[in-house]
Order: sequence, then structure tokens, then C-alpha cells
Amino acid sequence: MTLLDQDLAARVIGLALSRGGDFAELFAERRSGYNLRLEEGKVEENISGREAGAGIRVICGESVAYAYTNDLSPASLEETARAAAAAARAGKAAVVDMEKPLRHLPRLEEHPVRLSLGEFPRERKVELLHRADQAARETGSHIVQVVVVLGDARQEVFIANSLGEAVTDLRVRVRMVVQAVAAHEGEIQTGHESPGILGGYELFQEFPPEEIGRAAALQALTMLEARPAPSGPMAVVIANGTGGVLFHEACGHSLEADAVYKRASVFAGRMGQKVASPLVNAYDDATLANRWGSFVYDDEGVRAARTPLIVEGVLVGYINDRKRAMRDGAEPTGNGRRQSYRHVPIPRMSNTYIEAGGGRVEDIIADTELGLYARKLGGGEVNPVTGDFIFAVTEGYMIRKGKVAEPVKGATLIGNGPRVLLDIDAVGDDIDFDTGMCGKEGQLVPVCTGQPTLRVRELVVGGTTEVI
Amino acid sequence: MEARAELRSLLEEWVERARTLAGEGAELELYAQEHRGLTVKVYGGEVESLRYAHSRGLGVRVLKGGRLGYAYCTGFDWEECRRAVEEAAAIALFSAPDEHNRLPWPGGAYPEDLGIYHPEVEGTSSDEKVEIALRLEEFTISRDPRIKRVETAVYADAVSEVAVANSLGVSGSYRSTECQCYVFPIAEEGEESQTGFSFDVAVKPSDLDLERVAGEAADRATCLLGSRSMPSRRTTVVLDNMVAAEFMGMLAAALSAEAVLKARSFLAGRQGDRVASSLVTVVDDGLLPGAPSTAPFDDEGVPTRRKELISEGVLVGYLHNMYTASRSGTESTGNATRSSFRERPGVGATNLFLLTGKGTREELVRGVEDGVLILQVVGAHAGANPVSGEISLGALGLRIRNGELEQPLREITLAGKATDFLRHTVAVGEDLRFLPFEGSLGAPTVVVEGVMVSGRG
Repeated sequence: MTLLDQDLAARVIGLALSRGGDFAELFAERRSGYNLRLEEGKVEENISGREAGAGIRVICGESVAYAYTNDLSPASLEETARAAAAAARAGKAAVVDMEKPLRHLPRLEEHPVRLSLGEFPRERKVELLHRADQAARETGSHIVQVVVVLGDARQEVFIANSLGEAVTDLRVRVRMVVQAVAAHEGEIQTGHESPGILGGYELFQEFPPEEIGRAAALQALTMLEARPAPSGPMAVVIANGTGGVLFHEACGHSLEADAVYKRASVFAGRMGQKVASPLVNAYDDATLANRWGSFVYDDEGVRAARTPLIVEGVLVGYINDRKRAMRDGAEPTGNGRRQSYRHVPIPRMSNTYIEAGGGRVEDIIADTELGLYARKLGGGEVNPVTGDFIFAVTEGYMIRKGKVAEPVKGATLIGNGPRVLLDIDAVGDDIDFDTGMCGKEGQLVPVCTGQPTLRVRELVVGGTTEVI
Repeated sequence: MEARAELRSLLEEWVERARTLAGEGAELELYAQEHRGLTVKVYGGEVESLRYAHSRGLGVRVLKGGRLGYAYCTGFDWEECRRAVEEAAAIALFSAPDEHNRLPWPGGAYPEDLGIYHPEVEGTSSDEKVEIALRLEEFTISRDPRIKRVETAVYADAVSEVAVANSLGVSGSYRSTECQCYVFPIAEEGEESQTGFSFDVAVKPSDLDLERVAGEAADRATCLLGSRSMPSRRTTVVLDNMVAAEFMGMLAAALSAEAVLKARSFLAGRQGDRVASSLVTVVDDGLLPGAPSTAPFDDEGVPTRRKELISEGVLVGYLHNMYTASRSGTESTGNATRSSFRERPGVGATNLFLLTGKGTREELVRGVEDGVLILQVVGAHAGANPVSGEISLGALGLRIRNGELEQPLREITLAGKATDFLRHTVAVGEDLRFLPFEGSLGAPTVVVEGVMVSGRG
């Protein structure tokens, strides 16, 4: 069963193109979700939501007109289509035949949900939060606060367009985020863990809530003991998993075709050129089974794909959406994503990672005389035009004489994306992924970042003391 | 707010009908939000995108013996409302009981005529609004030959209506309009490019000052051309008013009683203490005429008001909603906020700002012998931590020598403790400005001594 009647969809698309345009599309969704939040050992947020809505888009050259409503009645959809049509300024009408029945693309179940949201009772969801909380608190007496958030969501989408295609897809996601706060003698530190999947409550078979809680607590406790980080340039070894956020932010966004088109990208005009150390291979892959950033069809109804970005240091691909593929004469890469029916799809990453190399982690560290070991990175920010970035190191250690030494706090990494890619001089074999919610133009979408342990020859560490 | 009586009376009616559904002794609140908006983005003299929004939704809060359940829906009829009330009542059982979960009682009439609504937004055609964005782009590009293009120029507006009603008799509604424009120009010279930014926000489109926005955005980009890093040193920093306003976000988060009660604030337990230089007075004012977060009542129906949080350096109070006030044995300050009907009320600032002192930015810079003017910070979300009070941010700016602006700077970081920034504030300017992007945060130019600035070279 689909969300909307196919004839209605075809009629609405026809209306959207009535004043001209190259392409029109209807995106409808029905979403329900349950969110729990535990703090101070108590469930204090307990929210159940149901939402439906549709967005209609008309592309006309480089212009996009978009209108949305959360009323799915035929009258409301027609009115919304007329608003989108009126917004499509000055364009020639595309030759579109909306009389033919829509061609429904196959419905695929590549990311099975083993324990569905409805099958897993609410009592047990609540219990998961308490288990994570308790484990975190038992990790050490200096843990003063634990926040556990559990969210599940079920999103049914129906997409139809003026190419005569229709797609139905179902995305089910579950994620737990644990934040632990440790305090001692006026010092406060936090630790963070956040596993999630495109799938159901089987998530907790792989990641028992106790382990999630304990890992977050250990990180906070470790940093409580930390000394202030030094400042200045030094070698930086970035650990697997969360380290991938650096590639995502400092390079990935510059590989999005809209940024390239606007030349708001350090990689504009660099296709086929050497942009990284020959050790670097990077991909965006939305097909990885049950990964948090995966999907079957993107939010424009394009099939998910694995897209090579950098191969042996050479730039080989950008990621695009339909509009950029159409305008740039490129193949669609299946990266047109949106937060919801309220948002226009734009090129977005899915699961973006640097592929594992041949180095062993022990060797990479042993080979580093003095440097910083960034075990976990927190958030960061990048200027897409210059590639300059800054990242917080939420769990960091000094490397001294080839050994991981004392923990250091308050460190940031500051540098330039393209320069870091060239300065990578060792790539480990231990690839791992981390989940995140990536923000762009006010839209959040689930993504994975990933990388093996790797070393950057030199990066500026922003800390508060001199290197000792 | 005559015209808004319909939505309010609808909610009042639904509250009455839903009383029995929520169960014996339960309390109930309905919060409705309706939003219509237009966003125009232009690029290269063309409309890049034009977006019409229309949405509305209903949030239901049910309290049963102190247990809280919340449900929301986008359908807007009694059937959807009824289903949400039943859902909220059912899931309330999974929440921990907490006696401090409570709804407000009616507290007198709400203020009117706050200058937050103007019909011009609805009376202006979308073609005219497109023109505003196109003019902003054009003004910005023509400002300086080194501005070859803008990354994006935007006009956006919204007409919103909010209503709240609860089973204790609170009921109110208001509508508001907001327009904003902003632009990100890119300045280029040789291989180097730099981005700038500026914005304006108003209740009606004709109040937007496009020339000023264009000029400032262009200047902010071009003045950074030729930038490089600098050797690490401890020095005086002048925080430009936009940067200072970003820092206010960290203060707003730390001054939330929710953060304080949950040990998530570096300002917890400091009420009555001197936490800042006597030049620092921080105010939250929900009634500031025409300001972006001004409203007659907060997001659970408590009247808003003005209060000082830090008075001449002394921490005098925190931001409260009903829940945190009850836990702290005080009154709500009218600071319940929610970003949409999808959320239960939390605690947040309304219009929170640093009270002005004396002097323009130029005058303050002139008083600095050796230092750095900070024009942009990057990483404010991750690098200004309201829990630990640690600041570690990337920055762009200009070197100051003998009161003169010199070498542009990039790839530098600012690091230190927020409490040190507050204590070592040696001057506060008169150029107060609000950033409308995450709530409404305002500050003038601020001068801070002894900040660690790291870089290379």
C-alpha cells in the first residue's frame, strides 16, 4: 500500500509543471517515532509523535521552487502544487507526459529490520536507558551525571516525479546516545557514545546498553585525570571511528556537487588531480548493510550507491543530487537527501570513509617520537571555501617516544582539509565507523563517518600550555 | 490580539473535551503552532530556490501524578487531538514521577502591542521579496572588485501563530512576523579566498537595511585577504560584536536553571558570587520591543519579563521554567522554550544580551597596544563548552598594534576558561547587536585581556 494514490500523484506533478519547468517531483512521508531521555536516573522525556506531509518541487534551470504542507488531502496537495508552479519563474514547459501510469521501481528490503519498533515493548525500551545509566555510574565514583537518549523512528516515503517514476521506501532507525559527566575538585569532563543503525532494536544485541554507558563514562573519567593540552604544531595520530568526522567535515562537504558548482569548495576544478597522499582511498557508500547513514533509495528516488571519491590520492568523484546531475551532465550518485517533507533535497553524504590501509596501529604509534594521539574527536567546523577547520579532541593523549603517554584535555586540531590529506603519512588497517547527525543548510540527516587509525605529519594543536 | 481568538478558543474547547480522556486527576496542556513562511535564495542574479512553507501542529502534555507524557501530531482536528491525548496519557506511565512537573496557573492578563507583528509581510508579493534578495546580492558584489560572487544571499520571512491552553485555566495566543536577510560574500585575491557574513532582522521587509548588510558583509570578507597564522602568545583580544554575541550562547546555556540543576553548567552553585568583571551585566528580556524572541508569554503560558542574570559581575539569578522554578523553590522567570510543537518545554533565553558600556569598536581597538581583533570564530558548537566552561575555538581576525588594525589572521585558535574571559573583560562597547539565529543573543564589542592565542610561525 502506498501513501498516496498514484493518479493523484501524477495529477499533482502535472499541476506543478503547468507554468513551466524541467522537472517536478512529489515527496510524501508518514513518520512516527518514540523518544526517551533519562537524566539523574529518571526518565524525564517521553515523547511519541506522528507526522505526515508532502513537499512539491519544480526545477527550472538552476532555480528550484518548493512548497510543502502537512495536509495530505487532494485539495491541499493541489493548492501546494499550484504554489510551487507559481514560484517557478520564467521557464519553458518541459515535454512531460503525465498521462501514462507511473512506473513503480522495485521495493527492496536490503536492510532487514530484525526486531521491529512495535515488537519491542515500551517497558523494555525504558529498561535499556536504565541499564546504560547504571553501568555508567558504576564505572567510577566521580561520574556525577549521565544522560541517556533513545530514539526510534519509522519513516514511510513515497516519491513520484515527472520522469514517470514512483518509489516507495521504508526507513527504520534506532540510536542511543549516552553522555557521561565526571567531576572532581572543580574539574568537569564529559564522555560520549552514540551507536545507531538503519534497523530495529537488534542494535542492542551488538551494543549492549551497559557497554555504551561504560565507554562514555570511561572517557569522562580518563579526561578528568588529563593535563592541559600543549599548543603548537606536532604529529597527530587520529584513531579509527570518530576520527572520520574530520574527513567528513574538512573534505567530504567540499566533494558535494552543489559546493563544487558554486566553487565554494577547495576541490572545484581538481577532478583527476592528486589531492591526497597516495595512501588515501575514500568512498561514500549508502549501500553498507544496516549502517546508520544507509538507505535503499535516496530522497529523490535514486538508487543508493557506492561512490569512489579519492583513489590512491587522486580525486575521482563528487557526490550529487538530481539537479546537479541534470545540470552538470553527470550520473546521479544517489545522494539527494532531505531531513523531511519540509526540506528541499540537496547533495549529502551517507556513510563516508577513508578505506583501511596496510599499516598496523602499534607501528604507527611506535614510529611517532612526539605527538598527539586523538582517540576521540568531538564536533568541528570548516570553512568550505578555504578548507580551514577546527576540531575538538574530546579524548586525547600525548605520544612520547613511540608510546601513548598521559591524557591531555582541551585540545583542538586546527588546519586545512586539503593539506591534511596530503600530509597523511600512515594509514592503519582498523577501519571503524561512528554515527552522527550531519547539518547542512539547516537540515539534519543521519550519516556515518569512518576511518582507520591514521597519522598526519603535522597539525596545529590548540591548547593552553607549552609543549613539555 | 483580537484576530487570534479562534485558535485559542479551539484549544480551550479541546482541553475541556480531553479532560476525562487523560484520566482522573490528570493535568493537561495543549500547545498549537502554525507557521507560514517564504525563503528566497539567490545566486548569480538568479533565484536559486524559493520555498513556501505551511505547517501546523499540536503538542500535548499530560501529567499524571507527576509523571509526564508528551505526544504530538500534525493533523489538526479533534480526532487527531484525541489520539494524541490518549497516547500522552498512556506513555506517561513510563516516566518517573516528579512532583516538580507542574503546569502554570493563570497569572493575569498578558501584555499586548509588543511590536512583534506587522501585516506588511503578508501584504508583500513574493516577487518583491525575490527582489530584496537579488538587490542584496547585487549591492554586495558591487561593493568591492575583489568580491567576485556571493555564496548565497537570502531573504526569509515567517508569520507564526502560537496558542497554549491548559486544564488549570491558562489560555493565550499571539501572532508574530519576522523577516531576515543575510549574505555570505566570497572575496578573492590570487589563490586566496575568504568569506564574510552579515545579516539584518526586522518585523517587516521594508525595515531591512540592505546597503548596510551588503557593505558590512563585503568588508568582513575583504579585510581578511592576505591572512596568515601568527606565533602562539597570550594577548589582549577584542571580540567583535557578532563574535561576542556567539559567546553569549555559551552563557545562555550555562545560565539555564535546567543545566544548573543537572550539573551541566560551569555557573552552577555560583549564585551571589562575583563571576565576572564589574563591566559585565547580562540581561534576559522577553518584552524587548520588536526583538526576535519577544512574546507576551513563554512556551507554557507564563508571562515573560525582563531580569538581570549577572549584575555588574555578580551572578544574581538563572533562567527558569515552571519545572526548574519548582525544584529551586523560586518563581518561573518566563523562560520556558520549545523549538516546535514536537517538544515539551525546556529552559531557554528570550532576548539575552550583554548590557552596553562606552565606545565604538574603533575606539576600543585604539586603546589596545598589542592584541588581536576577532572577526569570526569557527567551532562555537564544539569549542565553547557550557558544561566545563572551556573555550577552544578557531578564529579569524586582524592583528592590533599600537591601536591600529594590521595583518589579517587565519589558522589561529583562542583557548581558555569562560570564567577567565568574564573576569578579564576590561571594556564593553556601545554597539549592541542581536544575532537572531539561535534564540536572540546580543552583545556589543568586548575587550578581554590575557587570552591564549595559538598559531604557527
